[in-house]
Amino acid sequence: MTMTYETRMVWQNRLLLAPALVLLACFILIPAGAAIYISFTNEALSGFAASHPQFVGLKNYVRLFSDAGFWNSLIVTFAFVFGSSIVGQFVLGLASALALSRPIRFRRVFNAAILLPNAVPEVVAGFIWISMLAGGQYSTLSRIVGLFGFAPQNWLESVPLLMIIVVNTWRGIAFAMILMTSGLSAVPAEVYEAARMDGATPQQIFWRITLPLLRPTIFLYMLVSTAGTIAIFGLIYTLTRGGPGGATEIIGIYIYNQSFTAYQLGYGSAVAVIMLGVSVAIGAVYARVLKVQV
Amino acid sequence: MKAIVLRAGVTVGLIAGAILAAIVISRAGMGSRDTANSGAATLTIRIAEHQQPRIDALNKAIPRIEKQLGVIIEVVEYPAPEKDYLSKLLTELGAGNAPDLFTANFDSDVPDMVSAGYLAPITAEVKAWDGYRQLFDVAKKLSTSADGQIYALDSMLLVQQLYYRRDLLDKAGISTAQPTSWKDLLDRAREIKAKTGKYALLLPAGISWGPGAFNEGFALFVPGSKTPQIANDDGSLNLNGEGVRDIFRLYKTLIDEDLMPIQPLLGPEPWMIPKYTMFPAGDLMVTTCGTWCYIYDWGKGSRNPVPEVTKNVGTWAVPGMDGGASVTISGSSPWAVNAKSAHLDVAKKVLLALCSVDAMVDYAGLIGNIPARKDAADNKDFQALTELVPVLENVQNGTFLRSAPGYSVVSEGVARATEALLRRQTDAAGAQAILVKYVNDLLGDNAVR
Repeated sequence: MTMTYETRMVWQNRLLLAPALVLLACFILIPAGAAIYISFTNEALSGFAASHPQFVGLKNYVRLFSDAGFWNSLIVTFAFVFGSSIVGQFVLGLASALALSRPIRFRRVFNAAILLPNAVPEVVAGFIWISMLAGGQYSTLSRIVGLFGFAPQNWLESVPLLMIIVVNTWRGIAFAMILMTSGLSAVPAEVYEAARMDGATPQQIFWRITLPLLRPTIFLYMLVSTAGTIAIFGLIYTLTRGGPGGATEIIGIYIYNQSFTAYQLGYGSAVAVIMLGVSVAIGAVYARVLKVQV
Repeated sequence: MKAIVLRAGVTVGLIAGAILAAIVISRAGMGSRDTANSGAATLTIRIAEHQQPRIDALNKAIPRIEKQLGVIIEVVEYPAPEKDYLSKLLTELGAGNAPDLFTANFDSDVPDMVSAGYLAPITAEVKAWDGYRQLFDVAKKLSTSADGQIYALDSMLLVQQLYYRRDLLDKAGISTAQPTSWKDLLDRAREIKAKTGKYALLLPAGISWGPGAFNEGFALFVPGSKTPQIANDDGSLNLNGEGVRDIFRLYKTLIDEDLMPIQPLLGPEPWMIPKYTMFPAGDLMVTTCGTWCYIYDWGKGSRNPVPEVTKNVGTWAVPGMDGGASVTISGSSPWAVNAKSAHLDVAKKVLLALCSVDAMVDYAGLIGNIPARKDAADNKDFQALTELVPVLENVQNGTFLRSAPGYSVVSEGVARATEALLRRQTDAAGAQAILVKYVNDLLGDNAVR
């Protein structure tokens, strides 16, 4: 049977996609399916349930909704995402992109300084910040603020959530800056020229031209950054392990603690499935606002 | 058309070939290991170990054992913190690729590992072993499960008491006599706080402390409470008893009256500041601990030692609630064989070799726990450990808690209940309710009586 050109192209595209789909299936879809199944069992890492897991239906989900620890971790996660990703990284990333789009002195040095944190692995970044924040009077930050007359603090104990927001902001500015820079470069220069000729002030240009035209880039950044920040684990685990007293127990750490510290794989999987649903819902909202065809 | 189909076919073929090659290479690698391991002269036994002093002690014992048994021993280093070690070990046991030999953290972990099918029974080998009759009776009882079988062998014992700064209490004019009851202990703590301004008594607590919240804190007060055993004969757990509530009430009093430090217990590695900084500095006067503290925490193995530690740090037995006193003995890192080990017989022989006097003394010297064998007293290297010699002589007088399946859940439940107390979210009855609810949720409503 002879194929039409269009049919041949369709098959060729499918074949090209096949390796990626196989990897997606092996490392994303099948494990996700297994996690969904395990969430309906009492499977554990130790005890009788480890060797004889039982199907328990919705018992894990019922327990989850009455678990104060779960709701605490959800609140902490959203505060963390809002503070670091949506506010911190976006505002500073946009400001950096705007500043570095101009011919300023030492532009390359500033560029490198902003990009470097993103190149540091999560755990390494965590250890760097431990030396900055942990140790009370001996921490680097305490010594710095001491020069200005402020009292030393156990920063990771007194303001732990603020500290992890600061650390994650530091680490994520580069990604925001890169996206905003590419978005800014797509804004035609003639639009700015026309606005200046019409007498628009810099503030008017920013709010009425730059931001609206950056909208697709902003929402794309929000989509990717929100999903990525919800999934953060290594950085926060290195810094605080979710403490003190659950103050920084973001959902990734909560899932780890339930699955590998309390050995309750079934319950941990239930929490993970709930977060999968939340992440998909957030992504759908962003995609709808963005009107992106995936 | 033919060219396009041919190109697509070649692409798919190349990809399939790459995957097949990867599978073949990995299988070939396993095959060559199996071939190597089938010969007795090159048999490799993999042992999991964690924490540098334990790894150093094991490395000291390995040459003797390799020579004795004609095997190669490979030490697989695991994360140092107890909780992380056990999490990684259990994950690998569940996946079927754990080492041949490993330790459980505490005796309380063993029943659940047995229920999970991870441990090979070693009853016949242990009872036929000539070292068995040298084991202290308490070690034999701790090593024997409820079904009469032995799945893990305690080569070292934790002997836990209250450790106090004798020098600083003498200086402050505070009595160092053995407290006679919990009321006496609390009064002593209040006196310490009033006269010195320092924290008086630390009981491990909170989720961050992991299993130590139960094994190194809560459990020590159980024998002297109105609930002297948690594991019933039928395997159920006695958690609704008045004694459990009384112990939580003791915690609550220490917390409410600011007699114990709280902030460090809410952070990661909560023992670091109280035990390694505050106690040596005299900012904390009394803490629960074991013989390891004389060597590892404050003695010659410590980075922040207490000078003349055996002179300046004294011990009290844990008083009973209404009188009496007890010294709690538990197994320290009992050795076990992976039920899925490819070399079960040899692994069991290595386990018994690790329970020789020489190996036990290697561990005692670096960690400070007590050998589980009576004949360790005759070993000249052990006799040089003057901090430990008198403790070994009194091991037979100690008491111990029976463990049962589900004990690791009790341990986690106590950590959660004491966490709520530390955060001032509940009272003693509420803490007990948290513990009971947690155990019921995980083990079923029939687990708690």
